[in-house]
Amino acid sequence: MAAEIARARSSAFHRVRQRLAEYPEAVAFISFLLIFVFFSLANENFLTPISISNILTFGSITGIVVVGVAMLMISGEFDLSVGSTFAVASYVFALTLNAGVPPVLSLLLALLVSLLLGAVNGLIVVYTRIPSFIATLGTMLAYRGIARAIGHGKFATYKGEHLFLFDVLNGSLDWLNHLFTPPAIFRLSIVWFFLIALGMTYVLLRTRYGNWVFATGGNRLGAYAQGVPVHKVLLVNFMLTGFLAGLAGVIQFAHRTSVDPLRGAGMELIAVAACVIGGVLLTGGYGTILGAVIGILTIQMLDQGLVLMQVPIQVFQAFVGLLIITAVVSNRYLARFAE
Amino acid sequence: MDLKWNGEPPVVHMEGITKRFGSILALDNVDFTVERNQVMALLGDNGAGKSTLIKILTGVHKPTSGRIFFEGKEVNIESPKQARDLGIETVYQDLALVDLMSITRNFFLGRELVKHIGPLHWLDMHRMDAATREVLTDIGITVRSPRERVGKLSGGERQSVAIGRAMYFGAKLLILDEPTSALSVAETRRVLDHILEVKEKGLSVIFITHNVYHVYEVADAYTILRHGKKVGTYQRGELGVNDIAALITGEREK
Repeated sequence: MAAEIARARSSAFHRVRQRLAEYPEAVAFISFLLIFVFFSLANENFLTPISISNILTFGSITGIVVVGVAMLMISGEFDLSVGSTFAVASYVFALTLNAGVPPVLSLLLALLVSLLLGAVNGLIVVYTRIPSFIATLGTMLAYRGIARAIGHGKFATYKGEHLFLFDVLNGSLDWLNHLFTPPAIFRLSIVWFFLIALGMTYVLLRTRYGNWVFATGGNRLGAYAQGVPVHKVLLVNFMLTGFLAGLAGVIQFAHRTSVDPLRGAGMELIAVAACVIGGVLLTGGYGTILGAVIGILTIQMLDQGLVLMQVPIQVFQAFVGLLIITAVVSNRYLARFAE
Repeated sequence: MDLKWNGEPPVVHMEGITKRFGSILALDNVDFTVERNQVMALLGDNGAGKSTLIKILTGVHKPTSGRIFFEGKEVNIESPKQARDLGIETVYQDLALVDLMSITRNFFLGRELVKHIGPLHWLDMHRMDAATREVLTDIGITVRSPRERVGKLSGGERQSVAIGRAMYFGAKLLILDEPTSALSVAETRRVLDHILEVKEKGLSVIFITHNVYHVYEVADAYTILRHGKKVGTYQRGELGVNDIAALITGEREK
């Protein structure tokens, strides 16, 4: 009798584990909930409109970058240059605006440059066949150099009057914020982030291109043998990643209206961390945008929660490190039961 | 310029194929012909050049020199996609399927069915699932769902899925690269049955293997390669199975 109960229990446990293994974002979702509940109980200021809107407003900027990085990682490649592209786009936007270029043109120029920087990454990887980790480590430094050079190593601050374009890119959602006292700080970047994540989820799961992205990451030669244009997929994904990094840069600039030479530095690793926590396989072929979104929100929440608990900011990195390792170990554990 | 054929042209005629990788001569002036509705065994030891020859035919490699005729017309096959558009379907031993993707997504990879509204399109998963399920039932594989991941299938089931895919898309020539080398006896039997079914439907088959015992009973003809050179092509019944095995290893010269 006892043995039967034990068996029933273990098979129920096995079933749960098997169900969880079908969803790449399961571990991310569970850790997100656990950390959320923990901070909610541990600090009375955590579950407040200000704190939640702060997590979303900050998380959405890196989040837009993460969506591109996740697409790229699912196709089996890395982009370590996103933080530098983020800075270049911000500088191009700032400097052209200050030079009197019409705002919309200035925006398009910043986005075009980001797209080109992404294309350069893609061309290097496709044509030289060196690992993207190395290629984009190189361009990370090179693009950072470009950002410093065009900004003369100094801050660039927008000097004109407030632009309507800034409101479109990243206005404050005042009608929402004033529903709360004290007011929250929700911004439009959150909306852009969720729209982009939603759009990319659609592309990944419901279009031919999405099917090719998975195949390119899962079995590149096999995909090629089936007629999938794998080089085109990689090039497009690198361009997309560059574009989204630049877009995130200009969206942030629309809020802060200034940019410094180190803007975006370190973002590349946070983006990879968010993807890994979210269940995207480092080796490609597996993962979801939703997982990566949960991943970046978890990291941002950890940051916010630790600050509220007055834990020194340096400790934040240690926690993110711990979270990455825990997430990967748990994902491995689940994956063994997916077969 | 097209060659003159006596009667119907063969499905594939490769002539004087030479391939160098740097200083290594992988193929040395090899001729290779597959007739219509024929099961051709392509035999040779590891490194004999079988895979190189096939990868040239399927557009993965370009020959250093030589000509290829498909259904009597000279062709220049630049990519796997182009080979497939001609009607050449290949089931590679190790790179046929993407393990992390579902059976349906694998089945239609590169040829996904979509629905359109204007410029918007989306995958017609319903129709693809239904077709996949039908083919799987046809070739005698029972899976819980065509959305199951390919990684969960056995070696024999994967070969069957890949062969089923090639049949479904109406190939004229089916190339199987070592399809039975990792299979159990029962699974091998089933793959061989599929090959005979494919032939009954009027297709031609190239069956690549280093083990003649796997293919002896289903092949109509045998082409043997050794060290990048062609030893010869023999019709069924011309040589015994042990003679062919001896020719593959070089125990017998000709």
